[in-house]
Amino acid sequence: MNRVRLYRVLMGSLGIAFFLFGMALIVAFFLYQRPNSTPLVTTGPIGHYFVAFAGCALIGWAGGLVGAARDPWASRSVGTMTIFALVLMAVIRLVAWIIGDYYEFAGEALRAEVTAFLTMALVLIWTKPTVTESRSGGPPIPGGGE
Amino acid sequence: MILRGLATLAIGGLLTLNFLLPSMKVVARGPENLVRSDLVSELAIGGSLPPLELMDLQGRTYTREDLLGHRVLLTFERSVDW
Repeated sequence: MNRVRLYRVLMGSLGIAFFLFGMALIVAFFLYQRPNSTPLVTTGPIGHYFVAFAGCALIGWAGGLVGAARDPWASRSVGTMTIFALVLMAVIRLVAWIIGDYYEFAGEALRAEVTAFLTMALVLIWTKPTVTESRSGGPPIPGGGE
Repeated sequence: MILRGLATLAIGGLLTLNFLLPSMKVVARGPENLVRSDLVSELAIGGSLPPLELMDLQGRTYTREDLLGHRVLLTFERSVDW
């Protein structure tokens, strides 16, 4: 599998995963609104507001990821910001682990997620199309230059 | 290429930190029973309250002797500047 193909597969897979996860969060929000319901996400009304917000944001992000998978040379910034967000999410989990308040809820899953997010970010960094490739609209012609 | 290298270094540092966290004393958090496992409690059921001096929100100081003979409910909360 060549470099950009791996990038496209990763971005597309992330996009689909984020879309499904975002939908699940929105469904959790609506199910919570039923009288006497047991919340799928163990949080209250304010927490569910942010659950729904995160769900909508994930669906929007998913659209960008799928678009970048379809045309990675025209959507480099989606890749760049996705890498940034993955690292940011990892840092947040690191802080959550260090603080300890989330340990009972998340346990060592926090550190496992940090490893997964950072590994994903590393792979995306090194498979993302370069500026030169983007300007040419695709992979550079072998032997050719700018 | 330089930016990619720098980003890789930063992410590598975070990955290393993530793997080293459980063995680092300075950030030893996790579950409270593990974090506090080095502490020996002076309190035991049926035992005496150790000497103490606590200040209320009005600045009045209370000692163990002030509480003697009263029914006392002690609650503990983490302050915002822990």
